[in-house]
Amino acid sequence: MKVDKNIEYLIGKKAKLDSFLEPFSPKIIKFLDDLSKLLDNKFNNKNFPDLKALSFFCRKNNILSLKNKHQNKDTIRFGLGLLFHITPSNIPTNFAYSLIFGLITGNSNIVKVPSKKFDEIEIICKSINYVLNKNKHFQIKNMIAVVRYYSHNQIFTKNFSAICDARLIWGGDKTITDIKKFETKAKNIDIPFADRYSISLINSDKFLKLSNHKVKNLIKNFYNDTYSVDQNACSSPHLVLWQGKFTTKAKNKFWLQLDNLVREKYDSPLISTIDNYSKLVSELIKNKNIHSYKSFSKSLYVITLKKIHPKFFIEKTKWGFFYECNIKNLKNINYVSNRSLQTLTYFGFSKKFIKTFFETNNFNGIDRVVPFGQALNINLIWDGYDLTKILSREVEIK
Amino acid sequence: MHFLNNLMNQNAYSLDKTSKSKFFKKYLNFLTTFHYKKSNLYKSYLKGINYSVKKNNNLSDIPFLPVRLFKEFDFLSIKKKEIYKTLLSSGTTSNNLSKIYIDKANALNQIKVLQKIFNNLIGNSRLPMLVIDKQISNIDRNSFNASIAAINGFSIFANEIVYLLDHNNNINYKILNNFLKRNHKKKFLIFGFTSNVYINLIKKIDISKLHIKNLSNAFLIHGGGWKKIEEKKISRNKFNLNLNIKLGIQNIRNYYGLVEQIGSIFFECKCGYFIASNYSDIIIRDENLNISKKGEKGLVQLVSLLPTSYPGHSILTEDIGEIVNDNKCKCYGYGTRFIIHGRLKNAELRGCSNI
Repeated sequence: MKVDKNIEYLIGKKAKLDSFLEPFSPKIIKFLDDLSKLLDNKFNNKNFPDLKALSFFCRKNNILSLKNKHQNKDTIRFGLGLLFHITPSNIPTNFAYSLIFGLITGNSNIVKVPSKKFDEIEIICKSINYVLNKNKHFQIKNMIAVVRYYSHNQIFTKNFSAICDARLIWGGDKTITDIKKFETKAKNIDIPFADRYSISLINSDKFLKLSNHKVKNLIKNFYNDTYSVDQNACSSPHLVLWQGKFTTKAKNKFWLQLDNLVREKYDSPLISTIDNYSKLVSELIKNKNIHSYKSFSKSLYVITLKKIHPKFFIEKTKWGFFYECNIKNLKNINYVSNRSLQTLTYFGFSKKFIKTFFETNNFNGIDRVVPFGQALNINLIWDGYDLTKILSREVEIK
Repeated sequence: MHFLNNLMNQNAYSLDKTSKSKFFKKYLNFLTTFHYKKSNLYKSYLKGINYSVKKNNNLSDIPFLPVRLFKEFDFLSIKKKEIYKTLLSSGTTSNNLSKIYIDKANALNQIKVLQKIFNNLIGNSRLPMLVIDKQISNIDRNSFNASIAAINGFSIFANEIVYLLDHNNNINYKILNNFLKRNHKKKFLIFGFTSNVYINLIKKIDISKLHIKNLSNAFLIHGGGWKKIEEKKISRNKFNLNLNIKLGIQNIRNYYGLVEQIGSIFFECKCGYFIASNYSDIIIRDENLNISKKGEKGLVQLVSLLPTSYPGHSILTEDIGEIVNDNKCKCYGYGTRFIIHGRLKNAELRGCSNI
């Protein structure tokens, strides 16, 4: 066979992938569990916390609990067939989760990984190949191809689009527009993960009552939600809303402690200096809603806004550039909640309160409401989509 | 501006360090106040950072505009009807272009300064010039992109201009041979973008098709960096050596400048350092935007005395540079010596995009 230098198969080969299974097939669960063990044994080191998280996700117990949560035993479902995943370059392990969701739902998968060579991608692919080469997993071998090519080599995107049953398009608005130009089968389903931004909600008074140890933990969680991915994930908070009586005191404490942690742990390239300062100047020139701002360091800018109002709009930021605002009436979250708002992380409110609050308020945006520290935890329900349902078909029997 | 008139009577590299910093402190403060009064956008910036235009601030405390803001905002310190021409940056992608608005006085000063600097480099007489590009017909004479602006800018020093490339970007050997036949015995100019010079004079050219193979009288000026062919970048030494071996070209000078800042044009001296003229200067800043220690690499801030039609007298670029100790170089005149290490890589690879 002629080898095409423009495309690299990290897993699988150029072949017809048309196997499909029922969701949560025992074969897949076994395969993922084997993968989990391998990742855990081989790479149980601190350099790759995201690999540890991935390994944890693939454990048999985790998948079984997902099965209990998502599977309706009275219905018969099968995977759609072949999925084409276009995965993003901001989070190295994202492609693996996308692939795993495809497998769990019973599909074959062609996964395009970003052209930037992340260590994590190499390690994960090597591990999957190792597990696949065991005889017991031969059927799954026909369900996975992981490919790498530059997006400008459109012929591959064109060909994969023409044969798949669904496309999972990560990578934001621009990627979605680009990919949608390529024709698909009539019945193909596109699942676009568009550009989103996220916010945090803090109860100041509860925050000020925390012990030093708990404050540290909370700050660490916020740090992990943001700085671990350069604040560049859709689910990383960009705006912090403060509620309570003592917001000023709480803000000072929060940002100062975060500043300490950022100085201690965070390393960013020189371009971040330019990005953040340019963003600040641009905001100072055009944003009439600025009350004041603080630049704690090159990697922590906080713009304090006067108020959130019906025409409220912020642009997604990165490298530790935050907006903050007081919010007296929580119903005003409505003003920031448009379709671009993905995740709200909260502290100082009970889950019960949050649940009642969201049940009684129909917000236009917000697909996820999670405690601090869980912003990046990707799951089968993501961006408002229940992937177990969307990526499988139900056989109706009467 | 009145203060420029005195300078125009002097050699372009006449100001020693002490008198230059005094002069620049005075007039950059003046320009900052001037633009504060004339441009509302600029004023919101200075007000936002609590900058006082009433104090006589140190040179290092003069605020700088990040260069990419020229893509986002139309900075103007003149009335719209006073715009004489608009310069556009030559963006490599479909990103927004920088828009720089120039009035007649600024355009004239730009030419005068270029002339002063050029005279120092080449001498006073106009020379034949071979442009390593194709001829571009200017449809809109009032709006120039950076490459056309550069060719036009340098063309005023030529008494004859010939374009090396045809409209398919192929070398036109007939034109080249005719040009060389007429001009090779005396000093002549070759001008092109670094990437074009590399592609055409180092990679593509077929020596066997040349009637005259020794171009030792050529004075080659190139600039603009590697942009689209970053992966092919070779060192300055290698670049110059190749041109020397292949075509016998000995005088090769790189230039550095920003379309966003008129008056900031820096030519290499023989040692390979860029030298700041009386009209502009360079400041290096670290990752926290503080002044870098001498000899350290950092972000390039450029200051120029020329921009009055828009607030571009102090700009933070996205280039990495390094100031070199003066006594390393014995070439002409005073002026800060520096090296440019290239442009910061855009962080888009870490962005939420699919590349």
